[in-house]
Formats: sequence, structure tokens, C-alpha cells
Amino acid sequence: MPILAVDGLTKRFGPNEVLKNVSLSLEAHEIRAICGENGAGKSTLVKITTGVHAADTGAVLVDGTPTEITDPHHAQELGIALVAQELSLAPALSVLDNIWLGNREVPLFHRRRELRDRARAALEKVGLAELPLETPVSRLSIGWRQLVELGRMLTRDARLFILDEPTATLSDVEIERIFAALRALKAEGKSVIYITHRLGEVFQICDSVSVLRNGDLIGTRRTAEIDRAQLMEMMLGRSLREMYPRWESRPGPPMLEVKDLCVPPVMQNFNLTAQRGMVICLAGQVGSGATEVLRALAGLAFDATGEVRIAGQPVQLRSVRRAQRAKMQFISEDRAGEGIFLRLNVGQNLVATRLGDHSRLGILARQALRATATKLAATVGVDRARLRSQADELSGGNQQKVAFGRAIGGDEPGVLLMNEPTRGVDVGARADIYRLIRQFCERGYCLVMASSDIEEVLGMADVIISMYRGQQVAIYQRGQADLHRILADITHPVAA
Amino acid sequence: MSEVLLRARFRLRGARARHLVLAVRVVAGGTIAAFALSTPGFMSSLSINALLNAISLIGCVAIGMTFITLTGNIMSLCLGATVSASALIFLASLSFGVFAAFLIALLFGVAITAVQGFLVGSIRANPILVSIAGLSLLIGGAALITGGQRIYPSGEGLQMFKGRAAGVPVEALYFFATVVIGQIILSYTRIGREMTMVGSNLRAATAAGIGTTSAITYAYVIAGACSAVSGVLLAARYGSGDMELGAGYDYIAIAAVLVGGTSIQGGSGSVLRTLVGVTVIAIIEVVLLLRGFSQQLQYLITGIIVLLVIMLHTIGERR
Repeated sequence: MPILAVDGLTKRFGPNEVLKNVSLSLEAHEIRAICGENGAGKSTLVKITTGVHAADTGAVLVDGTPTEITDPHHAQELGIALVAQELSLAPALSVLDNIWLGNREVPLFHRRRELRDRARAALEKVGLAELPLETPVSRLSIGWRQLVELGRMLTRDARLFILDEPTATLSDVEIERIFAALRALKAEGKSVIYITHRLGEVFQICDSVSVLRNGDLIGTRRTAEIDRAQLMEMMLGRSLREMYPRWESRPGPPMLEVKDLCVPPVMQNFNLTAQRGMVICLAGQVGSGATEVLRALAGLAFDATGEVRIAGQPVQLRSVRRAQRAKMQFISEDRAGEGIFLRLNVGQNLVATRLGDHSRLGILARQALRATATKLAATVGVDRARLRSQADELSGGNQQKVAFGRAIGGDEPGVLLMNEPTRGVDVGARADIYRLIRQFCERGYCLVMASSDIEEVLGMADVIISMYRGQQVAIYQRGQADLHRILADITHPVAA
Repeated sequence: MSEVLLRARFRLRGARARHLVLAVRVVAGGTIAAFALSTPGFMSSLSINALLNAISLIGCVAIGMTFITLTGNIMSLCLGATVSASALIFLASLSFGVFAAFLIALLFGVAITAVQGFLVGSIRANPILVSIAGLSLLIGGAALITGGQRIYPSGEGLQMFKGRAAGVPVEALYFFATVVIGQIILSYTRIGREMTMVGSNLRAATAAGIGTTSAITYAYVIAGACSAVSGVLLAARYGSGDMELGAGYDYIAIAAVLVGGTSIQGGSGSVLRTLVGVTVIAIIEVVLLLRGFSQQLQYLITGIIVLLVIMLHTIGERR
């Protein structure tokens, strides 16, 4: 009997029908991926099964019994646990306290032996046997926090774990730990719903996959029975275009030279020569120094030292404005926090760094600004009708295009520094971004990109520099490297 | 559930909330207007003048406050004291001629706030705490210099800043000029746009290479200049002054900014909105006065209305 089934679920918000007659069921011992582009209805589906929303029509069956899940607390009592992206742990409290926080079984004086033992047992199951219970959660990485969260759900007798893009911000090592924990849960007879953007993970960890598109359930397949191309076709609803554009490497004149770049405390003596018309990928996980190198070049690391030259001219570090004057532009992965201005409109965002060229004596040339914004929107493929929309109304993909548009700013091609350019961007928009990157390449830009997504690195790079804990491990020309080599380099290099 | 979709859902809620806020605003505006118009004597020139008088002085401070709020620095508790102090400076330097005195007062107001703005912008000092420090420095300094005495004009020329021209109170003309200049700075200049960006997202502004320190300092400079204008008008109105002149102006100014709909989180707002806010508050006060409510009750009701408006906006802004 399925642990959880939904039958004919329909949900509309105002005029939008976000789920249309969706039925699926999930057995014990099953890890089910749910895939779909942004807006496909994944979130609504999960919110109905966790009691956040009620369905308009259709039923949710728990253990075969039609059940009306009234609120998230009720869902928890039924054994349905949501591990949300925004983790619900209290950073200042210890692991032990967090595990029991909000649990109604806990008596007033709660430091009992039994509670410790049960917490320990739960942590062992998720692979955190060595973690002291007194560690404050603030000292744990995001990946470990997710594991603690899983353990916490275990102590509440959860049987179905719903993970919402758990790996979006994790390094590969941490992802491996999460996977190990999920496999352990599965062996115990628990079920998992795994929502992800990353197709590779579907085949790595999931038994089956359900694909949603525009609120319709396109289908459910065993992962053993389909391949990547088929899965992408299901998600996109069109036959698979290549995700990564085809191109020929045409190295131009040298553009960016970096010598002995140090960014305390992570990065030591980074060296790089990059040519126009090339995509250089710094492949590495969190802590590898790849991000730090980009931030330092962009002038955002205020204790960076080293020598940087653009087209032979030295550029002073530690100043964003000097970097920009030298035609180096940074595109942040953290769009909401650092990338774009959510409360300004799209047009204002596109010209944010170009006010200087469009003003006289401090007075803005509004006409010229509008013209520039329209031109940039066309270049990066943002609908010009959206120029007046507030930036927070755009999808992640479109926001990223706006960030690109802003960065290419001037007419003369320069250096683009991209940190995780497709983080939080859905599959369709991702292909657009990759095409954009290649277009800029052809126009003579020199692109340096940091990424922890090895597939993306292999799909996009002319030159790959693998990095591990602040060291450059190896340099590969296009075609010299494969997934396993890079993975080995960035996780446990032999020569490091 | 992609995080992006999750945000999309909240956005839907955000859009709904924005509509709700708009609807409430229209209804509330209509109610206030109906109340005002049905109040006997409201449309008389006497009460209109009272309204303009009430708006003008506080309004200048509120315009200045708008820039501080807009750049994400919440509010300054020092503007009221800046008003008083520049009034005293103006009175004391009238002997150099009225234009010189006006300029000196303006420069003084600007200097006081520019220092605060620079501290807030460059070392990210907490804006409220900096303004409290500024407030006590001003009050202490003034007490030391004046010995607690009232200051009387040291020369002629006060007429320039009071009375009426073409039937309109001169104070209102200065205020409207401040509004126009403020809005032009905000919409049509580079520094105005940069202030909005800094308020919208300080980290993004830093990453975009915008001079965040200068944007914030300029916002404070404008606030200081506006406060000084208010101080000069006050000095002219009363003919003498002490540090009590502008006391409490900062509170009413921030209320006007928020009632007008400038976001307390920064990044969204305008001078014209503040004009609306200050007018609404003044209308309510005049209506209550005309309807014979006691002073205490007026304060109470104004307080309640401001609280409601702020709650409404907080709901509207929640994402």
C-alpha cells in the first residue's frame, strides 16, 4: 500500500490553475524525484501534502485512507516531514536542543538521558555519529544543518521526507553525505520526495521520477527506464535542444593576467592568463577559493594582494570602481542579496552601473538611459515590455539575464567574472544563459566563471582550472578532462 | 518548489497585499477628505492658512527625513535639534545681513548632518545611535554657548521669511520650493538614483561600484539643508528662539514620511509621497481642531492613525 497518494488534485490561485488533475502515489522504500521547470506546480503539490494549502478538488491518501491534512502540524503527526530550503533550525542553540525544539513530548526539564540517546540514534542514522550534541548549529555548514534537520524529523517518527532542492547550495562532498543519509532512510523503509533542478541527481539517488509541467503531471517513470534526454524532453515539452551550445575555441589576444593573487584566508598564489573569446572555468567546491578569486578580481575582497593586468595595464585590487574602469564586471550568484536591486525596475537595474556615462553635471539623461536599457534588454533576451516591472517580479532566470545585461554595459568587450552563473535558474533559462555566455565570447569578451557544477564546467569551458582548498590542482584544455578527473581533483586531489 | 517558485508564490501574495494597501489608502483618503469637507469652516481661508502653516515647517523636515529613510537609514532623531540650532545660528548671524545669515544657517545644518551621514556611510555606524549622539551634542553645545538664554535677532530682514506673497503664506512658498528641488534631485540626478539604489540593496550597490558613502552622506546633507530651511522659517515666525523650537519635529516628520508610503526599509519612496503624508496628517489635525477635540485627544487620534498606517504598510511590504 502506498504511504502517500494524491488523486486528481486540482488547485487554482485566482485565474491561474497551478495543478490540474494530478495523481501519483509513493511506496515505502522509494525515493521519488519531482522535476519541472519553475512554475510547474511542484511547490503547490508539496504545500498541499504538508497542509499549507487545501486542494480545490481531489484527495490526499495517507496509507490508503483519504485524509484531509489541515495544517503543517497535522502533516507532521501523520509522519510527513518537510525539509525546507530555508532551514528551520535555531543557529544559537545546540544540536540537541534543536532536535527537540518544539517537540511536544519534551518535558519542562529536558536534559534527560533518554532524549540524548534518541537524538544520538537519529543522528547516527543520518551519518552524523561523530557530531557532539552540544555543538551550536551556527558552527555547522549548510549541508550538516540539513542532516541535523533530517535527524530531527526522524525523532518525530517521520516516514515521508520531502526535500526541497537540498543540494542547491552544497558542495559535492556534502551532497554525498546527504545522499548517504537518504539511502539509509530508504533502507529503513522510509520514503523520500526529492525536488531538484539537477537532472544528474535524479539518476544518482532516485528510484523514480514524476515530471510536472504547467500544472499537468506529464508522467512518472522508473529512473532505470529512461535517460537524461528523455527526462529533459518531458520537462521542457520539446525535443531536447542541446543544453550547452556548440562552439569552436578561438582564443584571441591575451586579456587578463593574474599573478600571485592571494585572498586571505583561503586563496594563495593564484595565477591565470586568460584570452579574449575564451571561457575559463574555475571548478571547485565551497572553500576551494574559486569564488574568492572572482570576488578579489572584482574588487570585493578588501585584503586581496597580487598583480592583475588587463590587456597589459596593471589594475589595482580592492576597488570595485577601478575594476569596472578596467572593464572587469562581476556577476554575483546571490541575486537577491548582492546581484540586483529587487525594488527597482528592470530598466533601472540594467543601467545601474552606467549612470556616469549617461549624465551631465550630475543630471541624468533619462532618454539616453531608457534607450540603453532597451538595447541591453534586447541583447540579453529580456522582454522589453518588462522594463518597467519591478525586478522582484521576474523569475530567477530572467533576473540573471538582467544581471548579465548590466555587466556587459559598455560597448567595448571586457572581462566578465561570473560566480555560479546558473544557481537557482531553471533548466529552460539555463540554456539561454549558456547561449548568452557563448555570444559574449564571440563578441570578444573574456569570461571567467566559478562553478561547483562539474557538468556545467565540462559543457562550457575552453579551459578548466580545478581547485581545492585554495590551491590550483590542474589545468585542462577543452576536451582533456572528464567528469571523474575533475571530481577527483576538487574533492581529494592526489597531489595536494 | 524551487526556491524561485516559492518566491513567486509570495510575490503573488505581495501583489495582492499591494492591491489591498492601495484599496485601503483610497478608502482612507476618501474618508479623510469627506470628513474634512463636511467639517464646517474647513474650506475657509483661515483654516487653509492654518493648514499651510502647519505643513510648511514640519514639511521641510519631513522632506529631509525622506532622503534618510530612502537610503535605508530609517530616521534621524537629530533633525529637530538641527532645526532649533540652525534657527539660533540664523538669528545670531542676522547682523551680517539676511542672505548671509540664511547661508550660514544652511551651511551649519548641512555640516551637522554631513558628519553623521559620513559616519553612517563609511563605517556603517548605526544611524539611530549616531543621530542620538548628534542630538545630545547639539543640545549640550547650545546650552554651553547660549547659557540657556533665548536668542533674539541680531539684525533686520526677518520679513523675508514670513507674511504672505500674493495671498499665500511665504513659508508655504519656501516649502513648495523645497519639495520641487527635493523631487528633482531624487528623480533627475545621478546622486538621487544612487541613493535609491543604496537604500534598495546596500550590498548590491557596493558590488555595482556605486559610491555608497557619498550617496548616504549626500542624503544626510539634504536632510540637514531642509532642516535648516525649517529652522530659518521658525526663527522668522517667532522672532526669537531656543533649543525647544524644533523639538519633536523629527517624530512628526518620520510619521509623515511613513504615512506618505516611503518604505521604512529604504529603496522605495519619493518626496511627493511625503508631501501627501504631511498633508494628510495636517488635515487630520486641523479637522480635529475645528471639531473641538481637546489637544490631548488630537495627539491621541493622530497617534492611532499613524500607527494604523504604519501597520498597513508593514503588511504590504512583507514578502
